[in-house]
Amino acid sequence: MFRTNLGEFEELVLLITAILDGEGYGVTISQALEEHTGRVAAFGTVHNTLIRLEEKGFVNSELGGATAERGGRRKRMFRVTALGSRALREVQQLREELWQMVPTQTLKLGGI
Amino acid sequence: MNPPRWANRLLQWLHPDETLEEVEGDLNELYTYWYERSGKTRATLRYVLNVVSVLPPFVRRRKRKEEYQPTPNLNSAMIRNYFKITFRTLVRNKLYTALNVAGLTFGISCFLLIGLYLFDELTFDQQHSQTNRIYRAIQHRKTPTEDLTMAASSYNVAEEARKQTGEIENSARIIRTGRSNITNPENKNTFQETTAFGSSGMLDIFDFTVLDGSIKSALNEPNSIVIVEELAQRLFGTTDVVGKTVDFEFGQNRLLRITAVLKNHPRNSSFNFNSMISEATLRADDDFAEMTSDWDSQNFLTFFLLKDNADPTIAARKITDLLNANVQWEPGTSASYSLQPLADMHLRSEGIVDRARNDNVEAMDEGALRYINIFAVVALFVLLIACINYMNLATARASNRAKEIGVRKANGAFKHHLIYQFLTESLLVTTVSFLLAVALTNVLLPAFNEFTHKELSLGIHTDYRIWLSSLLALVVTGLVSGSYPAFLLSGFSPLMLLKNLKTRNKGDSSLRKGLVVFQFTISIVMMIGTIVLFQQIRFANNKDLGFKKELLVVVDINSGDVRSGAETIKAEFGKIPAVKNAAVTSRVPGEWKTIPTVKISREGTTREPDVAYLIGADENFARTFDVQLVNGRNFTGMADSASVLLNETAAKLLGITEAAGQRIEIPSRSWNGGSYRPLNQAEEPFQARVIGIVKDFHFQSLREKIAPMVLAYQRNPVQSIDYFTARIGGSDIPATLAKMKNVITKIDPTDLFEYHFLDEQLARFYAEDQRRQTLLIWVALATIFIACLGLFGLATYAAEQRVKEIGVRKVLGASIFNLTALLSKDFLKLVLIANGIAFPLAWWATSQWLEEFAYHIQPAWWVFAVAGLLSVAIALATVSYQAIRAAQMNPVRSLRSE
Repeated sequence: MFRTNLGEFEELVLLITAILDGEGYGVTISQALEEHTGRVAAFGTVHNTLIRLEEKGFVNSELGGATAERGGRRKRMFRVTALGSRALREVQQLREELWQMVPTQTLKLGGI
Repeated sequence: MNPPRWANRLLQWLHPDETLEEVEGDLNELYTYWYERSGKTRATLRYVLNVVSVLPPFVRRRKRKEEYQPTPNLNSAMIRNYFKITFRTLVRNKLYTALNVAGLTFGISCFLLIGLYLFDELTFDQQHSQTNRIYRAIQHRKTPTEDLTMAASSYNVAEEARKQTGEIENSARIIRTGRSNITNPENKNTFQETTAFGSSGMLDIFDFTVLDGSIKSALNEPNSIVIVEELAQRLFGTTDVVGKTVDFEFGQNRLLRITAVLKNHPRNSSFNFNSMISEATLRADDDFAEMTSDWDSQNFLTFFLLKDNADPTIAARKITDLLNANVQWEPGTSASYSLQPLADMHLRSEGIVDRARNDNVEAMDEGALRYINIFAVVALFVLLIACINYMNLATARASNRAKEIGVRKANGAFKHHLIYQFLTESLLVTTVSFLLAVALTNVLLPAFNEFTHKELSLGIHTDYRIWLSSLLALVVTGLVSGSYPAFLLSGFSPLMLLKNLKTRNKGDSSLRKGLVVFQFTISIVMMIGTIVLFQQIRFANNKDLGFKKELLVVVDINSGDVRSGAETIKAEFGKIPAVKNAAVTSRVPGEWKTIPTVKISREGTTREPDVAYLIGADENFARTFDVQLVNGRNFTGMADSASVLLNETAAKLLGITEAAGQRIEIPSRSWNGGSYRPLNQAEEPFQARVIGIVKDFHFQSLREKIAPMVLAYQRNPVQSIDYFTARIGGSDIPATLAKMKNVITKIDPTDLFEYHFLDEQLARFYAEDQRRQTLLIWVALATIFIACLGLFGLATYAAEQRVKEIGVRKVLGASIFNLTALLSKDFLKLVLIANGIAFPLAWWATSQWLEEFAYHIQPAWWVFAVAGLLSVAIALATVSYQAIRAAQMNPVRSLRSE
């Protein structure tokens, strides 16, 4: 079985990149992360994670979309690759299989 | 609504270039977002925190898609390339290469020679394996009238301190009794040698290399003697002599058994005895018990071997306590001990009297730390001057290599590639020069050893520390001379280089000028120093000493027979036609034996006695030495045994202007600068009348002021006669000497007729100065030579650069003289500035040195003028050769092509 090596924060960033669907770059990803999860991550953490994901081949990027509010500097836009979406799906599938195996009363006890 | 500028700067400065643009943009956008949401303060804070999060080491570096791999600087292909280019450059510019290599070779040779000399001086006495734990006992003695620091102790201090002090492991003692005859009983070979008695500890503490015999026990038994191979060769003609006996005359005739033969002492050892007799030999003598029982005597030179990690100051304190516990001090008198490390003995013994020796034993040889420092600085300067040459020539010629540098840069060479390239070049040049310098040094060493009295060598057997430091010097020289050109040349912009093919750089040429000034300043200072040194030595050798030193033969009195037959010998000397006058004295000015000092006072005064030197002389003394009598009369004969003559200084000290039989008293005398002791057991003073006053004469070196001097008659209770002095005619000196020898051997057939010429003896006072002068002359010449090589190179370059200008000027009618002046002017200006700086510097330095002499010259203005003119002349000669050549060139050749 293909083993996905994806950290928890990496998974979140990858998911958000998928949600943004080609519109993801440093700013939007940071903002979405804060909005949807309540986590305030340092920009450097997001930046590093994106580079790492790209090295693993889960996202690719290209420069473009300079706007005046950023002083005419280009953005690096991220998009999830096929490998990236497969990894996400595999993670989700693995979680679901594991959920199936958890006895109901454990969940109840743990939950209450 | 902009983020703080400084944080943005920080980001631009530290964030990796690959992602700078997008990160900067993202953070800008985020700042705006935060600003709108929560205000300026919070936005700024978050911005700063987030900037920090993308700075190294936190930030992850984005890999380039196709990473460009620059060629590593130090892979073999590049190194080969560096060497190839270096070789080509050097070969193409043969003149500059030769100038550089020659300058560096001379510089490094001087450095190596002086370095070897200094190393030898600095490692004095360190050939013993326990050097670090060996200390010399130094006694500090305070009495109401004097303070003394001397290398001496009593037998008990040496012996008991070893037993009772926990820090001390062992001790060794020497008594230097002076010169005695030593004879091979088989063939009656006799030599008068300076011998010493040593305790067995001498051989335990020190590592003397033994050729024959067993070293550790060699001094244990009475009547044992250890001799050095050189003496063994003289006595027996072989070094295989252990077990043989020698006759030794000391008090009585003794038969000594040779127990070991030592290798000759290395030159960097303070020990120079060529025979040592076991101290146990003396134990049977009557006076030995007396000599050893006194805790407060100063007969022994003592060394202590401390235990590992023992503190010498604690050990010294314990020795002092031991002494104080055993000696009843007179009021006002006290003594303490300190321990001097063996390694300091040669260079750091200033002010310590080498006391424990008979007055006919030469004090231990000492080095002069001051000159060591001076020479070290000089050596570094010479090397620096050679480095400066390289720097100057390399930067000056940079424009010739502009194209090369430009092309290299355009092809993708980084700054460090070029730095490596230039450093390789300079290191190669220094390496070649270094190898040449090692060869040159080996050629020069025999002559150098001759006049420094050393045995220096530079080969594979040389101490590794010398090689290590030479290697260090080599690398540093290479880097120092190469670094400036390397960093300067590699920093030019390639566009400028290729467009203009010029590296005009104003700061660069003024630095070059500064360096030339520096070189010449040093050269001129050395030149002036050498001339002043030379003059002072000539002054010392030619100064009117108050007596005529030429053609005086001094003959040592070496035996009792000769001493008691002195009157006969003197009379016989007088019969030799070539001998004009002959006198006997106890000491002779200029001889190395110490002249004793005495306490002297006029009868009836209550003043503290004064101190004066004393020489015993006869009625012929004044005539023989040509010392003038100021007033009063000379000695007349035996009736004058209670009369003295004073020199003017002594007379003034005692308040005597006219000699008229004033009574004086001499209660005590001092040996070798030690404490004053009464003249005899009964403590009766020597009472005498002043019958005459003689003109002051220099009986010591000119470093000392003329001191008070008492001339007592030959038979005086202070000191017996020790020398004949004869004034002889200048023709056929060997025949005269042979006749004199005959006279003496008639009285004592075993006498060895030891003689010196007084002027030669006096010159020995300044032998060290002479040596330093020679060394300084050579080094000064070397610096000037090296500086001129550099100047020559620069002049050549300047002429090359201005070849077009010269052509145009010539076409327009400039004469050769005009052009030469034009080209020389710039350099002369520098040399003149150097003169301006050098004069006060040299004035100060030479005045400092001359202060050492009580009688010295004043550095004359013309010395400075000569040095200045000489430097200008040399510089002019160097520069004008190139200038004239350039001026004579046919202008068509330089102007034809553009």
